[in-house]
Amino acid sequence: MFFVQTKMNFLWYFKRDGEMVFWTLAMPVFFLILFSFAFAQGPSATVAGFLVPGIIGAQVLSSGFWGVGVMLATFREKHLLRRIYLTPIPPWVFFSSLVAYRMTLLAAQAIILIGVGALVFHVKITGNPLEIVAVLLIGTATFVSLGTIIGALARTTESANNVASVLTVPLAFLSDAYVPIDRFPHAVSSTLHLLPSTQFIDMFRSVSVYGNPLSHYLPWVGILLAWTVLGTLISARTFRWV
Amino acid sequence: MTAAIVVDKLIKRYGNLEAVAGISFSVPKGSIFGLLGRNGAGKTTTLECCIGLKEPTSGSVRVLGLDPSRRGELARLRRLVGVQLQTVSLPEKASISEMLELNAAYYSIPTRVLEMVNRVGLEGKLDRQVAQMSGGEQQRLALALALQPDPDVLFLDEPSAGMDAFGRRILWSEIERLRDAGKTVVLTTHYIEEAARLCDCICVIQRGKIVAQDTPPNLVARYGGEARVCITAEGFSPDEELQRLGTWVNTNGEWQLVTRGEPGLALASVVTRANALGAKISSLDLHRPELEDAFIAITGETIGDAA
Repeated sequence: MFFVQTKMNFLWYFKRDGEMVFWTLAMPVFFLILFSFAFAQGPSATVAGFLVPGIIGAQVLSSGFWGVGVMLATFREKHLLRRIYLTPIPPWVFFSSLVAYRMTLLAAQAIILIGVGALVFHVKITGNPLEIVAVLLIGTATFVSLGTIIGALARTTESANNVASVLTVPLAFLSDAYVPIDRFPHAVSSTLHLLPSTQFIDMFRSVSVYGNPLSHYLPWVGILLAWTVLGTLISARTFRWV
Repeated sequence: MTAAIVVDKLIKRYGNLEAVAGISFSVPKGSIFGLLGRNGAGKTTTLECCIGLKEPTSGSVRVLGLDPSRRGELARLRRLVGVQLQTVSLPEKASISEMLELNAAYYSIPTRVLEMVNRVGLEGKLDRQVAQMSGGEQQRLALALALQPDPDVLFLDEPSAGMDAFGRRILWSEIERLRDAGKTVVLTTHYIEEAARLCDCICVIQRGKIVAQDTPPNLVARYGGEARVCITAEGFSPDEELQRLGTWVNTNGEWQLVTRGEPGLALASVVTRANALGAKISSLDLHRPELEDAFIAITGETIGDAA
């Protein structure tokens, strides 16, 4: 059931949707090249080393908010959710197959970005691969569970879209993803470090590119897991199939 | 006969609006039950309470002895009940065979793709995607999905809406086939011909209430009014002998006989007498009351935008 649903998610919402393929696979690379040249006037391992994990992190955010949250609101509006609700598929199987599908896309995006970063900009990923994957999984869990709240509460696709844009776009700029926030006044940047998105992206960058051990970040891991639990609880309480 | 479905004093309110205002009925196993009424009469809400999509404000619903408003019982019901919703909601990029494959996975049953597409007249279109299908084809795919797990009870909400004559024939024969296999079918419709042809019992719903409930022949006999013989003929007027057959009315040159007896016999007498009078018949009709007449008599309304 899980595998068939995941396969269909991939076929229906990705493979047969040319726009989706472009946005998912080409846009992050486009961002990497654009921002690298904007910030460094040429290939720079330092700048690209900042951007590669930042863009991957921003993709994790948008996966949760758009890929899961808005998608669920769309499914509800198109009456797809009620059809699924009437069949014996357990909700968690349906939901986890949607997450599995998004994680597959995220993995593809991460591999492409890391590949382009390594080949074009000589960015070295020095961290422990297992810890890198662990951070990505924790981040995905956090933002999928927070994104699901959008899908649970938004009445229409349009309002879900609005909420997701209001969250994703500013967060990408305020969370150390595209621009380093340490250029902001200290008070601002330390406030921004309270955001789960900033904590996740900084932790991911530090573990992957700077090769720091994950054990340095245990408090942040704890905070992100707390957000995950909170998001899951709120989503589960408020989710509507109809 | 045991009841497959028992609905008792069902009430569903949305704020101040009472969509279902105290409906009770029971559906015997192995029968076809129709909820007939205009749009907004409360048919869909009643059906949605039966399948667990809506929770009753008060009253109770039992399907195969299970309460669809309780989570655990609904989980068991899902395996026993098939549903075709009013809006066909299928993912646009999904193909027919993929929908059947996924649906089979949901129920952990064999896919039987070829058998299913044959039953609903979609053979040879396995790779066709939902977005490329006509409304009627999408309806038939939705029907195939509802039939695929071989449910004991099938709920159909306006199943023939948007279907062409071909689709309707398939739909009706599948419904009858299920009944013949001892399954129970509940359908909502505002298509009177469909209700008359299929249903063993019809519930006429108006403004959230049941206003009549019986077999189609009984509804017609009770509410449909008398049969009429209509004749337009030069030199014809009902004489004493013809007056005895019933009440005659003349509208725009057409004589109408509202008859108490068997209308066929009355028709024969009218023709014989007209010939004897040397009248030249230009038109002659026999109107037996139909379900539609009964519906109008019961509700005081026409069914409106019939499909």
